[in-house]
Amino acid sequence: MNKPTVDLADAVARPRLLGAAIKRREDPKFLTGRARYVDDLQLPRMLHASFVRSPMAHADIVSVDVSAAAARMGVHAVFTGADIAASAKPFVCDSLHPSWQSAGYPPVASERVRFVGEAVAVVVADDRYLAEDAGELVSVRYAERPVVASIAAAVAEGAPKVHDSWTDNLYVKRHFREGDPDAAFANAHGVVRLDLNTHRQAGIPLETRGCVADYDSRDQLLTVWTSSQTPHLVRTGLADTLQIPEHRIRVVAPDVGGGFGIKCHLFPEEVVVAVLAMKTHRPVKWIEDRQEHFLASIHSREHQHHVELAYAEDGMVIGLRAKIYVDCGAYSMWPWTSTMDTGMALGILPGPYQIRNYECEAYSVATNKCPHGAYRGVARPAACFSIERGMDEVAHRVGISRVEVRRRNLVQPEQFPYESVTGLIYDSGSFVESLDRVCEMGDYKAMLEEQKKARAEGRWVGIGIACYTEQTAHATQEFVQRYVPIVPGFEAALVRMDPSGFVTVHMSTHSHGQGHETTMAQLVADKLTLPVENVRVVLGDTAATPYGHGTFASRSAVLGGGACVQAASKLRDKLIRFAAEHLESDPGDLELVDGRVVVKGAPTRGISISEMARWAYHRPEKLPAGMEPSLEAVAAYDAPPGLGTFANAAHLALIEVDPDLGKIELLRYVVVEDCGQMINPLIVKGQVHGGVAQGIGGALLEELIYDDQGQLTTSTFMDYLLPGSTDIPNIEVGHLESPSPFTVEGIKGMGEGGTIAPGPALASALADALSPLGHVEVNELPLTAERVRWIMRKARAASQA
Amino acid sequence: MTDTHMIEAEVNGKRRKLAAPSRKLLSDFIREDLGLTGTHVGCEHGVCGACTILLDGRPVRSCLMFAPQADGARIETIESLAQDGDDLHPVQRAFWEHHGLQCGFCTPGMVLTAKAFLEEVPHPTEAQIRAAISGNVCRCTGYVFIVEAIQAAGKTMADGARTRE
Repeated sequence: MNKPTVDLADAVARPRLLGAAIKRREDPKFLTGRARYVDDLQLPRMLHASFVRSPMAHADIVSVDVSAAAARMGVHAVFTGADIAASAKPFVCDSLHPSWQSAGYPPVASERVRFVGEAVAVVVADDRYLAEDAGELVSVRYAERPVVASIAAAVAEGAPKVHDSWTDNLYVKRHFREGDPDAAFANAHGVVRLDLNTHRQAGIPLETRGCVADYDSRDQLLTVWTSSQTPHLVRTGLADTLQIPEHRIRVVAPDVGGGFGIKCHLFPEEVVVAVLAMKTHRPVKWIEDRQEHFLASIHSREHQHHVELAYAEDGMVIGLRAKIYVDCGAYSMWPWTSTMDTGMALGILPGPYQIRNYECEAYSVATNKCPHGAYRGVARPAACFSIERGMDEVAHRVGISRVEVRRRNLVQPEQFPYESVTGLIYDSGSFVESLDRVCEMGDYKAMLEEQKKARAEGRWVGIGIACYTEQTAHATQEFVQRYVPIVPGFEAALVRMDPSGFVTVHMSTHSHGQGHETTMAQLVADKLTLPVENVRVVLGDTAATPYGHGTFASRSAVLGGGACVQAASKLRDKLIRFAAEHLESDPGDLELVDGRVVVKGAPTRGISISEMARWAYHRPEKLPAGMEPSLEAVAAYDAPPGLGTFANAAHLALIEVDPDLGKIELLRYVVVEDCGQMINPLIVKGQVHGGVAQGIGGALLEELIYDDQGQLTTSTFMDYLLPGSTDIPNIEVGHLESPSPFTVEGIKGMGEGGTIAPGPALASALADALSPLGHVEVNELPLTAERVRWIMRKARAASQA
Repeated sequence: MTDTHMIEAEVNGKRRKLAAPSRKLLSDFIREDLGLTGTHVGCEHGVCGACTILLDGRPVRSCLMFAPQADGARIETIESLAQDGDDLHPVQRAFWEHHGLQCGFCTPGMVLTAKAFLEEVPHPTEAQIRAAISGNVCRCTGYVFIVEAIQAAGKTMADGARTRE
């Protein structure tokens, strides 16, 4: 129902929805089991696909015999790589960096496989059970090649090559130098040198990947429903590989059961399932199983950093040198390229600190492993780990507290906007205040007391701290600097008011848990002074939304939200100009109040939006001369300066280590975060909780382990451990708000932030807990029980020596 | 392997009789044959808990059972709790009020687990709640608001029970 008419004399200005912690409007469908994920789609005549995947990490395909599988009852077709190659080109995702070495990723391998899990054939059958049965009858002969399954193996002298035409196993070699690092190191009071490793992990959305394709030969329209964060990009990717114009493709991402960056790539399976639908003239469904997801989707986080910090006597870090290696696996993923993690790590390694002299070499390494791609936080968990471990080490060397070393080195309040040594513009922030606040909120002094008491009882209690700034909503300029072939510079929104005066917002971004059906409606409802119930948000369908890039890199609130606000503002301006004609007023004297355009200072003189909406469609003679009928506006928004807006946070952890089991228990975890103007604090808090939980999983539990033959040894939830309800403490969250001076409404992104700092905070806490054994270096993540025990054994041996 | 069995069961309060191959997973049977897609499949090896249903009132993982094993049973899926947003069960309402869900994929299993738990333990401690849902993975929320929601739902359900007495 529309808002009832109110006596304007008594009307109070509607409280702004921006910043209101309203509950999510999308929830009832999820709570009642009526959401629609891709596997919930059942089309008439639909067939089911199952992929046959390589058990070899590196091999030539000698032959593929599909005859037994094809003869099986219920099987419609079996396709090999050669069959698919006739219809779909390999993905080529080339960086524009001069050192780049290119390699296409064939949707189904036909000549050679480069990782365990790479598809070598695909079966289409009446149901999934039959398709999997038949898949086991596909006989593939391989000729093994030597395997490179680690960074060390890939960069070793004379290493076997993953891609024959390359000069080495490096996708890209980058070098950056700014200031005078040589002088800084020459003049340093001391230098900290650290070798740091973060091991391979993945986002692991609870809903695996999956898609359904249907080709309508009458309309020549290919429709692909896929569990994706980026339906428009998938459409472009399909068009490029299938050589079909984009207007003949519709991509629908329905409800998405978690993405975390994994689902913002184009996947071979999406291309293949589209081909299958066209070849069989039947709708085809493929739903990934969990093991396939572990083997063949997207991995992340596998970084090796060699870091040197030159520091002055007072603990100020005056120079930073780094060598960064990222294990990017076998292929470059579309559309980000295998440069994403290396470039991001290189750019953000100096973190929230005033470091002016910096030199960095960064290498993306090819190995015979699953391709490396985006996962919530992209490179920043590793970069934050490196710089934060460095800060702890500097504090130790100069004899000041870990809080003090950060307070001194952080960008100070008066320095914003601050241009970092790598040219990033830290637009605003509360770097020092968030650190102070987290110490207050967590009662750092009481924690120290508790630690003292615990130690007296022989318990191993530690306090850890970590700070970061998160580049969010980076747009055109950042992606140009990354040398990516596709620059996802903007997001778009179409705001349409119908004749009833109700509003539909069509967005290029998508929601996979972030609550955009609520937050975007809050923004638009505010601009049009309508109740939030009058605004509906449409997402995820390329046929129903304006072109944009989708949801990733903490961008939707800023870029999608900015586009919403701008489109709604255009619509508001049109309503005001329309009303001006009827109220015989100057548009400048009018304003929107509670769904009416009224004369400023004389609110009884006005006209309701719903009345004008009716006129705009059904009584066009009432429109001012020259005004177009209908009420809709579209906007595309690229937030200046295009390098992103910078959120920040400080994390404080109190842990207890079980010395026998090596298990780390989290006694407290406190976060103070700042994402500028919040749209909905309830959702912000939920995002922080979820991010921190993923960060804790990454810090303590999650590790994808390959053996030296490139076999993944952790491909179930029994051996890749996700954090459960008993692993995560009651995360305490405080907010500060430093609005961005650059973005619409001062909004900053924040979706990824929580994942960034738990690694370094918990490593810091572990080192602190073990400090009775002497000074302990904790330079590897995750801190599994086994690794904690190993660190303790090493520390004991050192203290005895 | 492709023998079929007749399965007769009470599904969300209604008698249903359907044939299924002996090897069909109960989760697939519920989703594909009964058309109840609120039951989700996250791992197919019994760890994530997304496919949790109530079988004779007790939470079970429907991906670890074959459909014929449910013959004669009483099955409750998420669809049994409410038709729409207006008649939500106290657990569903509390999840909504406390932002206990994000992507929604684990939610049906989580809600059913919580409902069965609260019927058994009306006044749980936080530790009991965490233990009760430790077999249900949520990748989005960090569990904080889920625990809060279950605490609140427990209170509402206990108050409701008292009022009825």
